Amino acid sequence: MMGLWESAWVIARRDFVATVLSRTFILFLIAPLLVFAVALAVSRFAQQREARALQPVVALVTDGATAQAVIEARDRLAGGTSEQTFPELRPVAPAERIGVQIQRLLADSEGNYSAVLSGSLDRPVLTGPRRADDSLTQRLQLIIDQARQTRALGDSPESLGAPLQRVVAAAAAGNLHMLRRQFARGGQGLIFAITVLLATMLLSTLIEEKSNKVIEVLAAAVPLDAIFLGKLFAMLAISTVGLLLWGGIGITAYLFSQVVSDWVNLPDVSPAVGWPAFVVLIVIYYATNFMLLGALFLGIGAQASSVREIQTITMPVTLLQVVVFLLAANTLGASGWLAWLAWLVPFSSPLAMVGEAAMSASIWPHLLLLLWQLAWVVLIVRISSRMFRTTVMKSAAGGPLLDVRAWRGGGADAARPAE
Amino acid sequence: MTAGLAIEARGLCKSFDGKPAVRGIDLAVPQGAIYGILGPNGAGKTTTLRMLLGIIEPDRGARSLLGFDRPLEAARIVGYLPEERGLYPAMTARDAIAFMGALRGLPLEVGRKRAEILLRENGLGDYVDKPIKALSKGMAQTIQLFGTIVHKPKLIVLDEPFSGLDAINQGRLEHLIREEAAAGTTVIFSTHVIHHAERLCERIAIIAAGRIGFEGLVSEARERLRPVVRVRTRAQDGVWRSALPADAARVDGVWQFELPAAGIEPLLEAFIAGGAGIEELSIERPGLHDAFVAIAGEAAAREMGGAAREKETAA
Repeated sequence: MMGLWESAWVIARRDFVATVLSRTFILFLIAPLLVFAVALAVSRFAQQREARALQPVVALVTDGATAQAVIEARDRLAGGTSEQTFPELRPVAPAERIGVQIQRLLADSEGNYSAVLSGSLDRPVLTGPRRADDSLTQRLQLIIDQARQTRALGDSPESLGAPLQRVVAAAAAGNLHMLRRQFARGGQGLIFAITVLLATMLLSTLIEEKSNKVIEVLAAAVPLDAIFLGKLFAMLAISTVGLLLWGGIGITAYLFSQVVSDWVNLPDVSPAVGWPAFVVLIVIYYATNFMLLGALFLGIGAQASSVREIQTITMPVTLLQVVVFLLAANTLGASGWLAWLAWLVPFSSPLAMVGEAAMSASIWPHLLLLLWQLAWVVLIVRISSRMFRTTVMKSAAGGPLLDVRAWRGGGADAARPAE
Repeated sequence: MTAGLAIEARGLCKSFDGKPAVRGIDLAVPQGAIYGILGPNGAGKTTTLRMLLGIIEPDRGARSLLGFDRPLEAARIVGYLPEERGLYPAMTARDAIAFMGALRGLPLEVGRKRAEILLRENGLGDYVDKPIKALSKGMAQTIQLFGTIVHKPKLIVLDEPFSGLDAINQGRLEHLIREEAAAGTTVIFSTHVIHHAERLCERIAIIAAGRIGFEGLVSEARERLRPVVRVRTRAQDGVWRSALPADAARVDGVWQFELPAAGIEPLLEAFIAGGAGIEELSIERPGLHDAFVAIAGEAAAREMGGAAREKETAA
């Protein structure tokens, strides 16, 4: 018999080549990029439209000088924040009967006014319906305060005093904590998103062998454990190709943006274990997360006999992934039994530990937990292959669950084909 | 394991969902032999082969494959063609053969070279780089057969290898099996088409209802049935008729009966004395087909009798 790893390599090589050299693989590579790009563009466009649509319009029924002072104050504040933060102000010349004019303006469907600001800087009056958060009143108050301040101090820059001086410090505890949480969330989200993308592929990976009736050829030649492991490694390698491509495009885009304009900056704060270790741990935890969920999905998918069954299984499997992700995400930086649960439950452990890598500098828990996760990979593959043997191949399970001999291989020298 | 045996099985049993498929099969396949496993559909041939190869584990019993008690340990020196043929449709013929060799430990490059040689030697040189999905069913089956032997195994196991092949390809397969056996390879195959076994095998096992009904030489199987006498007489009736055995039956004017234990001479003397007028006379040894039908029929009858007794006991 070939050793388990040698057999797994033969299976993995075939799967990898068959997938990577297929036309559908190009679709697999391009589709997420297209979806991401379109989603990004649509969301940005929608966000801008939405912000413009939600920006209230206020009619400014005051004398010319007041209107100009208020509009200048508004523009100064909006320049420091964003255009949509403050309402749009439209000056309207006051009529003789102000009360009637205000009612007419509020009823004007073309003007689309949310409120009318009248009076003077000393006695401003805002007329309009009560908004739930009353934020319009608060923001108009800020504008009026700014206009009053400018009137009191004059327009010259000297009279306003020196602008805010910026002194750069090495670190601030609050900022560090906040950024590291973001790194943790980013790492967890990245691993989760990629695994979700590949879940259906993992579930249906044995369908090909069953529908082509190749499974018996494989099962007669190599251990079922090797078939499962080979498929798992092939899928890991295939997804890594995707990651390299997507990651490469991401890095290129970042570098390009750095050259073109300086609008993107890497934060000068690093994750707790440092950038190199964090990146390495993300890759390793991605691999273990993929192997753990992959072994489980492979085992579940192996029980299905058609694509329709796979589609039925996909939804609960995706829900399981979401639950695991939420468990890991919500215990980030926490302690107590829930955090321990997230670290020790094999399916949430990689995600939870990526979070830990961002938040805590200790390395040894990662080494322990990685061993723990790998042990679970072995166990799940063994259980999956036994289930496959008993339910699909209609055979007894064959050998004890933790049979080390099966993973070592044997008889390789005694039974070698003639070359 | 007994020396000189490629396969040895003792008391193999297997049930599916509580229904017995194989009920205590013993086999002893000599090394270098062409060995046939015969049986009607559903007799348990495929299950037996799968158990021998370790694809499924027997519920009871033991087996040894080329000296290995765990069949997968002999995988490098065994070739297997399953009843349900299976290849990856997108693979080329060359890669499919090489992949099957790689599964048995043959380096991929060596497998590719051998695949090309096999294909060219068998007139399939134009199909080396054609994907399996572009080949006919018979061609794909031939490709899989080449994949079964590409690593030069010491034991070849073929499950219903002739099914789906036309007469020309059946002849080629028979030739290939003989060549492999001549090179010292043990070949075991299952079939329900008797004439292949009759032409190829020295030894056979006839399985019926999950049990071995016969195991031995092909000639021994035939000898289980007595030779059949066929005689045509000019006279329709006469005293000579009293000399006919009790099982004699007249079919299309020809008397047929098993050769009596005393031989044919006393009968001939009675016919001549009685003026029967013998026009035709033949004594034929029954073929394997007749032996197979008789043995399988006996086994089925025993099975039905056993089932009826079980029902009676239960009632």
